[in-house]
Amino acid sequence: MEFGLALFTGLWYWFWAGAPGYTFHYVFKQPIVMALPIGLIMGDVPTAMKIGASVEMVYIGMVAAGANLPADECLAGVIAIPIALKAGINPETAVTLAIPFGILGVFMDQLRRTINVSFGHKADKYALEGDTKGIGRCAILYPMLVGFLLRFPPVFIANLYGPELVERFIESIPQWLLHGFSVAGGLLPALGFAITIFVIGKNNLIPFFILGFFLVKYLEINIMAAAIFGTCIALLIVLMKRENGGENV
Amino acid sequence: MDTLDRVDNMTENKPMLSKKDIRNSYLRWYASCEVSNSFERMQSVAFCYSMLPILEKLYKKKEDLSEAMIRHLNFFNTQGIWGTIIHGVTISMEEQKSKGEDIPDTAITGIKTGLMGPLAGIGDTMDWGTWKPLIFSLAASFGINGSISGAIIPFLFAVITFFEGYYLWNLGYSLGKDSVKSILQAGWIQELITGASILGLFMMGALSANFVKLDIPIVINMSGGNELGIQMILDSIAPGILPLAAVFTIYWYLKNKGQNYTKIIAFILVLSLLGSLIGLF
Repeated sequence: MEFGLALFTGLWYWFWAGAPGYTFHYVFKQPIVMALPIGLIMGDVPTAMKIGASVEMVYIGMVAAGANLPADECLAGVIAIPIALKAGINPETAVTLAIPFGILGVFMDQLRRTINVSFGHKADKYALEGDTKGIGRCAILYPMLVGFLLRFPPVFIANLYGPELVERFIESIPQWLLHGFSVAGGLLPALGFAITIFVIGKNNLIPFFILGFFLVKYLEINIMAAAIFGTCIALLIVLMKRENGGENV
Repeated sequence: MDTLDRVDNMTENKPMLSKKDIRNSYLRWYASCEVSNSFERMQSVAFCYSMLPILEKLYKKKEDLSEAMIRHLNFFNTQGIWGTIIHGVTISMEEQKSKGEDIPDTAITGIKTGLMGPLAGIGDTMDWGTWKPLIFSLAASFGINGSISGAIIPFLFAVITFFEGYYLWNLGYSLGKDSVKSILQAGWIQELITGASILGLFMMGALSANFVKLDIPIVINMSGGNELGIQMILDSIAPGILPLAAVFTIYWYLKNKGQNYTKIIAFILVLSLLGSLIGLF
């Protein structure tokens, strides 16, 4: 099973982190989605889903504005979920395990985009020759091949040999360090939400953020209820503005 | 004279591209737009690749084709779904150009670079800022209980955005360049942006309340055996003010000190570990 799992996770990370299919690859990249096949391979789907969902929550607000990846949730999940399942650690600790890998993945992505520069130059040459097939290779084949060399080996090796090592490693980590990582796990989503506020970029609408925040804190409504209230508020504002002749909000 | 003119117009306006060409072009873009992303020219190779089914059909002479390919290898970066309006417009401009209309390269490049920023802003707000966290937090609330629907629900996001992109691609093509400009300034698109921004911010706030966690568990022993918890005091002022402060501190940093995510993540890690070591958090 170790070999099969290592192979599967390595291929999964390579292929989906390579970004084929703009929003489809994104879905496959998510910890909560990969948790299902990993759970099937390892024979415990419910626990895998719980771990996947916990890791997912850290990254739920992260937006890759201008293609700058804030964190690599795919690497985080593909390493943390199998290890946590194998070692039987709880979802909270699994999150702390995932975080360092989420950061490592960002560097791997930066390396990929640096290497991709050379395929841009290759494409220039093909364009001069009017070679359309060459452009196709630069757009998909070459970047995917480089991605394989970059992404498959580390995940494959980590999942082949990693679980035992990590298990022993975790037992030896002092309590304050583990707790520190779980504090970071609670704080990191703040970065995602801050990025989204920044991307939306409308300072005068920030009170709506605070409204949503305290509506949940005081009234303890769930996400679906928040979505309903939020939609109504947005519609009301837009429609009332229209009635007033469209003055600036 | 009159009838001749009309006949001329009819042949001129007859589209040279089939629905299938347009669809192929979109499928190529959707499949590849982030694959070849590079630090130098971002999505330029993907843009050129997506235009090939169109260009090959429009330009039969090798020099013309090559020239068009070079034209579309310029720097390009936008959001992959809303940005497709640009591709649609570009296709319609290339179609006109290939019929002999006088459209200089700079006009095509200009429309691309001019629209990619604003459309990325709308797309990031709508798709990444609103749809995505909405659907994924719904999925997470199932997944956390061990249900497999947590792994299925996210595909809703992919399906919605795929068709959204296809619609906008065709919209851009049928509008052409002039109407796209006017549409971006038109009332309804501004309303859409305002509405989506409000919903997005509201949802981000709601999600922050659920997912951002920070406590100060320090308890001060008062005289007479009373205990005073710092967190209790904070909660009595307003629940969750520490997480809220964390979000806005980072927002302030992003806005004023630049978007160095790695630095922020490193700082959060160090702060958390130090805080844990001295017993602050």
